[in-house]
Amino acid sequence: MQTAQKNLGEVLFALVFVVLGVAGVIFAGTIEVPDLEFGMGPRAFPYIVSTLMLVIGAGLVFQALRGQLGAAEDGEDIDAEASTDWITIGKIALFVVIHIVLIEPAGWPVAAAVLFTGASWSLGAKPLWRSIMISVILALVLQYLFGGLLGVSLPRGPLLEGVEFLNG
Amino acid sequence: MDNFNMLMEGFATAAQPIYLLYALFGVFIGTAVGVLPGIGPAMTVALLMPITYSLEPTAAMIVFAGIYYGGMYGGSTTSILLNTPGESASIVTALEGNKMAKAGRGAAALATAAIGSFIAGTIATVLLTFLAPVIVDFAINLGPVDFVALMVVAFLTIGALLGGSILRGMASLVLGLFIGLIGVDDTTAQQRYTLGFPGLTDGIDVVLVAVGLFAVGEALYVAARMRKGPVEVMSMGSSSGNSAKWMSKDDWKRSWKPWLRGTFIGFPIGTVPAGGADVSTFLSYATERKLAKGKNKKQFGHGAIEGVAGPEAANNAAAAGVLVPLLTLGIPTTATAAMMLTAFQRYQIQPGPLLMETNGALVWALIASLYIGNLMLLILNLPLVGLWVKILQIPRPYLYSGILVFGALGAYSLNFATLDVVILLVIGILGFFMRQYGYPVAPMVVAMILGPMFEVQLRRGLQISQNDVSALVSTPFTWVVYGALILMFVASFFIKRAQKKMESAPLEQIEEPSK
Repeated sequence: MQTAQKNLGEVLFALVFVVLGVAGVIFAGTIEVPDLEFGMGPRAFPYIVSTLMLVIGAGLVFQALRGQLGAAEDGEDIDAEASTDWITIGKIALFVVIHIVLIEPAGWPVAAAVLFTGASWSLGAKPLWRSIMISVILALVLQYLFGGLLGVSLPRGPLLEGVEFLNG
Repeated sequence: MDNFNMLMEGFATAAQPIYLLYALFGVFIGTAVGVLPGIGPAMTVALLMPITYSLEPTAAMIVFAGIYYGGMYGGSTTSILLNTPGESASIVTALEGNKMAKAGRGAAALATAAIGSFIAGTIATVLLTFLAPVIVDFAINLGPVDFVALMVVAFLTIGALLGGSILRGMASLVLGLFIGLIGVDDTTAQQRYTLGFPGLTDGIDVVLVAVGLFAVGEALYVAARMRKGPVEVMSMGSSSGNSAKWMSKDDWKRSWKPWLRGTFIGFPIGTVPAGGADVSTFLSYATERKLAKGKNKKQFGHGAIEGVAGPEAANNAAAAGVLVPLLTLGIPTTATAAMMLTAFQRYQIQPGPLLMETNGALVWALIASLYIGNLMLLILNLPLVGLWVKILQIPRPYLYSGILVFGALGAYSLNFATLDVVILLVIGILGFFMRQYGYPVAPMVVAMILGPMFEVQLRRGLQISQNDVSALVSTPFTWVVYGALILMFVASFFIKRAQKKMESAPLEQIEEPSK
């Protein structure tokens, strides 16, 4: 069951390369070529790359269908035995989206604190108040370092409007 | 002699107090981030890119030199002290280093790694100092077709040799080339693959792709299968006193030859594409194992100091070797080098044969700060081990959340556009699936940088020859390069076979006595 699922995932992922390759070939034809062009022009390299992608993608689909699967990457914090926890991934991706939405209206520190709290909660950090505390400190320190000291223009947001040293 | 004077001038620049501070900052933060599990040198450089945005070029380059070497040092600390395999460059170190730490000789392992890294780093930087000008003198006469040949070699070796499967490596490479095409064509100013989005006309920033693949992709991947339970960090040697902590006389005697051998294995391998740290550490380990005699040989698999000393030296020598093609030809051969090149480009500096002429002072200041940074690392590393151990113990949920926040910061501060953070997330998800299905991510990053350069040279070459394709193999230099390419593939076939044999062998030995 597990392998069948992984198998399907691999085939689908390999198909992405095929689809990108086809799209690449089609859209390469729409690139405008200047009249004075006498060399390869701007289309040739896109055609080459897209075709290669198509061929390699087809090869990967073929391999995956035959059951030659890739070896998932190892890592220091990876439990090789565990199966993929899609819910946690979904939660984290959702918090990144919330972060993106918040940056401009609420300011970078607020958006960063929400991302940190949300991500660490998703990853199983307990208790929640500690995540919140760390996230607030981290967000303010980063805002001060980058916005205040290094002059990177991160938006402070309405909450911290009056705080001059956090100015991005 | 002229080069020597240039280097001295470089030292004069890099030794100014403010630049020394920048170097110290670079090595410190580079080591601290490099120690973090799951973060390799390439990710260290990518994540720390925003720090240098507001610095002037010389200061930024000095910080980067420090981060580059510091990240390498940090990785070895992780693999010795953490009870799990880590980034590829230090896996070999973990084989013996981990066993040494288990036997209460962690301090000796860290010491031989640090001193070996210092010696190798210094010798390799000397080699870089003398080799770089020679290569530049030669490379300055190379035409576009010669560069095309060099880059073909880089593409094929990186795509085919990194990671376990050739097809997956090439897929990653081609994906990088494809993303590199998005935006305005350099030669004709036509839009390509922008689908009419104004945000895409400048293309997708390499930093975004690197941070997305390495930071966000890694965080998602770890999130999916996180190792539960407490983090196991090794204790530091015996608790009774200082005497047991340091290397014994015997340790020194057994270490110095592997250090030197590692250096001379690592440096040349570092200079060729896809050589990188992996291959060199493995070769050094295999060499030491073969050369060890009697009692020492039996220790392999149970904590032989040679197995730490050699690969660590090779690792750092290779890191310096990678800078040779980067600084002289402008060709990055590893993901870390690709990130360094991106850092250069942000300051409108184009690495290549002309770099030493147009930005000589900067390059020599960079090289001088490599020497200084190396010395700083030696001094910093041993006394600060306690701090690194603390960093290793950061609870994983906080660690990966912090990586996400830092990655998002890096993405947003590129152009202060939320679209960039959206792209970051998309690439992060892509990175997750690539890890899940065994696609190496490094070729993608390198290809994104090399692709546009390759296209420019290819088009220039064909324009000169008036579209005669045979021009691509018309110079003696191209014959040599393509010939070497064929040789390299034959050699790599044998190395890979030996590596497979090797990787299965020590594991069996280790697991037997434990139960």
